[in-house]
Amino acid sequence: MRTLASLRSFFSSSRSSTRTWLFPLALASLTDSAAAQEVTAVKAGRVLTMAGGELTGVTLLIENGRIAKMGTEVEVPWNAKTIDASDKVVMPTYVLAHSSGGMRGANENLANVPYLRVQDAVDPSSKFFQECLRNGIGTVHVIPGNRTLIGGQGMLVKPVGQTVEDMTVPGKGGLKLSLFAEPGGALAQATKLRRALDEVRDHVADFERRKAEFAAEKAAGGAADKKEFDGKIDPTKQPSVDLLQKTSIAFLYVPDAAMLAEAQRLQREFGFRAVLVLGPAVHRGVAHLRDLEFPVVLDGDLEVWEKDPVTEKRTKACLARELYKRGIPFALDVATGLNGAERFPWWQMATLIRNGVDRDTALRAFTTVPAKLLGIDGEVGSLAEGKRANLQILTGDPLSSMTWVDTVLLDGETVYERDKDPRLQYLFGKSTETDK
Amino acid sequence: MLRNTLLPALLLAATGATQDQVQVLRGARVLTAAAAGDLDNGVVVLHRGKIVAVGGSAVTYPDGARVVDCSGCWITPGLVDAGATIGIKDEDRNEQGDEVTPQASILDVVRPDDEGFAQALATGVTTVRLMPGNRNVIGGLGAVVKTHGDGLADMLVRDHVGLRMAMGSEPSAGNRAIRGGVPLGLFVRRPTTRMGVVWEVRRAFSAAQNYRDKRTEAASLPPDPALDVLVEALEGKLDVHTAARAEQDIRTAVRLAGEFGYKTVLEEVTEAYRCIDVLAASKVSCLVGSPSAEAVLGAGARDDASPRWYTPALLAQAGVRFAIQTGSNLGAKSLVHEALFAVRNGLGRDAALRAITSTPAAILGVDDRVGSLAPGKDADVVLWSGDPFEATTTVVGVFIAGEEVSP
Repeated sequence: MRTLASLRSFFSSSRSSTRTWLFPLALASLTDSAAAQEVTAVKAGRVLTMAGGELTGVTLLIENGRIAKMGTEVEVPWNAKTIDASDKVVMPTYVLAHSSGGMRGANENLANVPYLRVQDAVDPSSKFFQECLRNGIGTVHVIPGNRTLIGGQGMLVKPVGQTVEDMTVPGKGGLKLSLFAEPGGALAQATKLRRALDEVRDHVADFERRKAEFAAEKAAGGAADKKEFDGKIDPTKQPSVDLLQKTSIAFLYVPDAAMLAEAQRLQREFGFRAVLVLGPAVHRGVAHLRDLEFPVVLDGDLEVWEKDPVTEKRTKACLARELYKRGIPFALDVATGLNGAERFPWWQMATLIRNGVDRDTALRAFTTVPAKLLGIDGEVGSLAEGKRANLQILTGDPLSSMTWVDTVLLDGETVYERDKDPRLQYLFGKSTETDK
Repeated sequence: MLRNTLLPALLLAATGATQDQVQVLRGARVLTAAAAGDLDNGVVVLHRGKIVAVGGSAVTYPDGARVVDCSGCWITPGLVDAGATIGIKDEDRNEQGDEVTPQASILDVVRPDDEGFAQALATGVTTVRLMPGNRNVIGGLGAVVKTHGDGLADMLVRDHVGLRMAMGSEPSAGNRAIRGGVPLGLFVRRPTTRMGVVWEVRRAFSAAQNYRDKRTEAASLPPDPALDVLVEALEGKLDVHTAARAEQDIRTAVRLAGEFGYKTVLEEVTEAYRCIDVLAASKVSCLVGSPSAEAVLGAGARDDASPRWYTPALLAQAGVRFAIQTGSNLGAKSLVHEALFAVRNGLGRDAALRAITSTPAAILGVDDRVGSLAPGKDADVVLWSGDPFEATTTVVGVFIAGEEVSP
């Protein structure tokens, strides 16, 4: 096993010689199966479980990629690999409920493309996934971007692995719907989406009608040459059909308050289930957010400066604050660009605190809320015996601007270590490597 | 919670206080950015728009003074952004009639009611340097203004601060060579390369040297307002503020200053880490742009300069005098948050505080009025809900010249 692993890692390192940062991650993923059988003990100073409160002086015993035991009196087997985090903070890795990072092209040129799957666009070597690990993000719902109508199907990944298959984690992605429009195109976008859904409904009705007709004909003694009905749902429409038949969930992007009303009308008319993904300008319509089946998801921009058209006065608005005041649960996203502090979960959570949201709500917006929304809260988003050993070890409090993610474990595997992070070595001048 | 309990008290102080009334901010942790250092349970006394006393809880003040309980808060001087891009319409930033416009003055295009000032104020910035943009080789004169005041005259701290010069690709971006012998449009002009940019500097300062020599010989020669500005720089009466991102451009900027003997402040210095010895040896001061950035985005992207997170810490270690500015990079956060990133990435807290208060004030020549909490300085004070270098902290109050103006 070891020989094979080193052989394969040699292969991968020579292949990726121009991108040497790939190497440690690739190695980690290749040794997955071997190390997963090992026992790892994490001696934690402080644990934010996100389920059973905050614990101190706890040991987490990890077996087969899961948390086998967690407590103060855990007996550590002699052969366990021990990680000393007694001066650090341990918490579950973050979960992104909706992200268009890590794809080669987040949107197809065509607008109505429900049949597309992000599996075909996810780039395992994307810097976005590196950035996820660096920031303690362990699960990502990757889904097509907002510049679409019906954009395709998302999937759940962990940000580590050499292939999309390696990265895939159990769970179901949603279907992307978007009401995003270029300036002046809002009405057209809403109309197009309604028409697209109408077509799907007509298609299903037509299918059902033909099926019923066949059954009637058959009952009347006709169609002797055919034993069974062989009509089919158009496979390119199938994901949209699933949505209308409520066997899948939409992630519907809503850029502003006017579109929120449109989104709700569409949901009423077509009766689909949807997680609303809200742009910062939705804050004006927050009073209309009622009877939600799911928590909402906020996009990377949490604060927005708006100009009053009459007084021309600019004011800062924060949708998260409005949601918090009304007790509407929400999940957070991070930005995917090169610059901007919005790429960092600690910054996003601190922004909530600056806007009057409480600490617990901020932490849950990156852990338990997105996990529950994605239906994987039995696995990730909190630390408890039996759950996946997806945890991050931090140098301090997760909301402090001075805290760094020191180590990340996914399924019990150490997949990130800060002192071996080539990107940080580059940014701190410890490596002259020009290709970061 | 803190915000809620503090605000009524602050408002009371502000509404009740007259110019003649003494105001006392007490109980906060005070970071003076001056010799007094950091004070726990400090007292800051304001009177007639000036700071009259700063110290520990033993500081005395007259009876009848309005006392604001600031316990739990932190106090810093009003922040000084030496590279703000607010207050000016984008189309007014660059005078493109020529590539050398030393006499152009930013003060002519500042809009005192620009909302950018209020936004800066809300993040604790009370003083800014405004400057022409980098589109020209020599772009014109800057000014230092407060972010609040009764019109521009009231806001003005110092005019004629810094002469904008730009190295690298920005002054030549978009310019085209004359093709087919037919000059078409504004952008068919020199320079089109870094060589042309440097030549424009040489030509301008050579002309200024000649002009100065001739004026010395015959004082009756008519004055030339553009060359007069350059002569001021040559005689050390006016700092040149040279924008330079890439290593090559930093070296060129230092070399040109040495060649003509003018004093320069370097701005942006994205690749300072590649030539830290040059910066240390030449004793230039630097205005470091957006230390949080991992990439240069926007107009400066063509310089192909590569930011590193350890730059502020390295400058401090090498003994280079530097301020942190928000600068021209897209995605830059507010000034205090840029300093926060510098601290996160290894710069000492005290150095970071000075880099957004006393050091930029000194570089801009306005440290007699702003940038630190000491008797005699303008009563520009920021109250924070906690440690300013934590992103969870908010600005809970800002005083400019003793007047509570925000948030």
